[in-house]
Amino acid sequence: MTAWELATFSSDLLGDVPELEGVDVEIVRPGEPVRITHVLDAVEPRARPDGRPAFPTEARAGEGRTNRLDGVTVLSCLDFPAEERPLHEQESLVDMGGPGADLTPFSRTTNVVLRFRARPQASNEELEAWARRTTLDVAESVARPTLRTDPVEVERFELGPADESLPSVAALVQLSDLGPLYYQYVYGVRAAEAGLPRAIEPAELLDGAVTCGEYHWAALRNPTIFFQQNRLVRTLHDEHGKRLRFAGVVLMRGYEQTAGEKQQAAEQAAELAAGLAADGAIVTTDAGGNSHTDVMLTCRACERTGVRTTVIVAEMADPESTSPGLTDWVPEADSVVSVGNAEETVSAWRPERVVGGDLLLDGTPAAEAGPVPVRNYLGATNQMGQLALTATTW
Amino acid sequence: MVRAVHYLNQFFAGLGGEEAAETPPTRLEGPVGPGRGLAAELEGIEITATLACGDDYFAEHEEAALARLLDLLQAEGAELLVCGPAFGSGRYGYACARLAATAPIAALTAMHEENPGVGAAGAALVVPTAVNVAGMRDALPRMARLAEAVAAGRELGHPEDEGYLPRGFRRNRHAEETGAERAVDLLLSKLAGETRTEVAAGFDRVPPPEPVPDLSEAVLALVTEAGCVPQGNPDRLPTIRAPGWLRYPLPDEAGLESGRYESVHGGFDVTLANEDPNRLMPLDVARTLEREGRIGGIHDAFYTTTGNGTPVAASTRFGQEIAAELRDAGVQAVLLSGT
Repeated sequence: MTAWELATFSSDLLGDVPELEGVDVEIVRPGEPVRITHVLDAVEPRARPDGRPAFPTEARAGEGRTNRLDGVTVLSCLDFPAEERPLHEQESLVDMGGPGADLTPFSRTTNVVLRFRARPQASNEELEAWARRTTLDVAESVARPTLRTDPVEVERFELGPADESLPSVAALVQLSDLGPLYYQYVYGVRAAEAGLPRAIEPAELLDGAVTCGEYHWAALRNPTIFFQQNRLVRTLHDEHGKRLRFAGVVLMRGYEQTAGEKQQAAEQAAELAAGLAADGAIVTTDAGGNSHTDVMLTCRACERTGVRTTVIVAEMADPESTSPGLTDWVPEADSVVSVGNAEETVSAWRPERVVGGDLLLDGTPAAEAGPVPVRNYLGATNQMGQLALTATTW
Repeated sequence: MVRAVHYLNQFFAGLGGEEAAETPPTRLEGPVGPGRGLAAELEGIEITATLACGDDYFAEHEEAALARLLDLLQAEGAELLVCGPAFGSGRYGYACARLAATAPIAALTAMHEENPGVGAAGAALVVPTAVNVAGMRDALPRMARLAEAVAAGRELGHPEDEGYLPRGFRRNRHAEETGAERAVDLLLSKLAGETRTEVAAGFDRVPPPEPVPDLSEAVLALVTEAGCVPQGNPDRLPTIRAPGWLRYPLPDEAGLESGRYESVHGGFDVTLANEDPNRLMPLDVARTLEREGRIGGIHDAFYTTTGNGTPVAASTRFGQEIAAELRDAGVQAVLLSGT
């Protein structure tokens, strides 16, 4: 097993953003009365001292050393041309103040906001690919000043031997592949074509192997930074040798489109987890609806192969009704973490400034949006368990 | 002073024991029995009348009993209804819960948490009590405190802090640990033999109806939750959480023509659906079946909504409303396409 080092540097080292054609760049700091709109992805600035790319598409991630800028996020914003919106990409906000600020970690970071201006002739897919690649490039370039100085902290990721009597636990990380604007990427390849399910080293996930191109419900989204800073992998890593043995990470497909393919994806992921000799697995969710069926099928398949499971899901419950908030459920899902109810509304807040586009997708001025559902806040109910939100019964 | 009405069964209202259980709804002046103790606890609230009903009467004539009790309640012009406490008594608890759940004013009741009435209380507040009448002295002040909070129109805090049983509403809060840390704890606990969960399902199961006796005589209706609407979405059906459903005339044609219908559903890739709207609403196949005489006919309108993030309660209402129209129109079968 190889070791990987993550070196942390102060945000003071934030480098200049190069001039980009068709992109407005703005730095937004914590506490500014700003609402950021049409947010696609959030990326932590990273660079490698050995010159290899920070978001590799060929070489392997999770080896050597990677530098990170602490407390800085690159946010990409793009309002796709409305008439060509096959999947009706969803509203996605970051509020730097007001009650919504508590819901996203990006209200507490210095944000390099890239606003991509849609070119009239470009298709949504072309625009998306341009924005996604440019955002990763910018995240790498603004971290370059770290290459000339010493880090504040270096963490080492290497799974040593652990007591065989400790329970062995795997992380099953679901990645969407539903259609254009709804893909997650593994080493730059969309999930459906990335040979999933696939076991990877925990450090690969933390080191830019998985990037986001999935723009479904903002709160239920897994932006790139949540893979880079993945709390689940870090927690399992920290507990390795203490309360458990970390068996590994399995990337699995979400949003297969037929019942048979969904069942098969679930069974293959469960077999891979069993192949890692996992006693238990934590199954995470990407996006919502259809993928909640995938996570439940995976839970059932794991339990049937003898791998005990805990699943992480967000709820989508009408706050004024007692309807169940889960889109799907199987009796085997008897251990479920709720990362919050995405349908709860957050009271209105009037920002002094809007960055990323003045009008929301429904045409409302973003500054006067009124109460906003939690689901519109980027990452608020992240289903890899990145944040502390939960829902309880009243 | 806020005007309140108190509800009791025959026993606590002093009308008699089991021999009086058939007593129909009755109005008594002011507070009665435990109502006197409750009145002594209440600040700013006056119990103007007590309504009482026999447990058996309520159980055997629920609809009539409820209607009568609601009439009596309305005549009082009260702003608050307090029922019980019913402790562990199942029939009494159920009557308290049903009345509290149905009353058009703020209502609370009190009973043991395992009383079957708890499940019938809906959005009404239930104060937990001991299983028998020995808990009266403890229950009355807690009912009074909650009644005062409700009467004041104060926004209630967490059930544990305010002293009522959770009703099933899901509310967000920030936990001390991240979801990932909680997941690791839950899994290790499960592996150690103690299974816990932060959310349970509570899904209902719909039994399939009897088959249609003779399809060749039946009128078939097309209903969909796929968000299929005429091109341009003239009535602005939302892409998620539609508040209702829409009805559109079906063209007298062999199928739905491309470019004249689209899906506005926000939960799946609509590209293929929009290429051929019959993929969502199979009018083409239905027309073939009609021509071949395998179905009797096709209802002249289709029904549509966006089934995306829709609360179960809302979907249930849509289904009931659409089904009522279809039944009145003489439709015997529905082809319901889901996505």
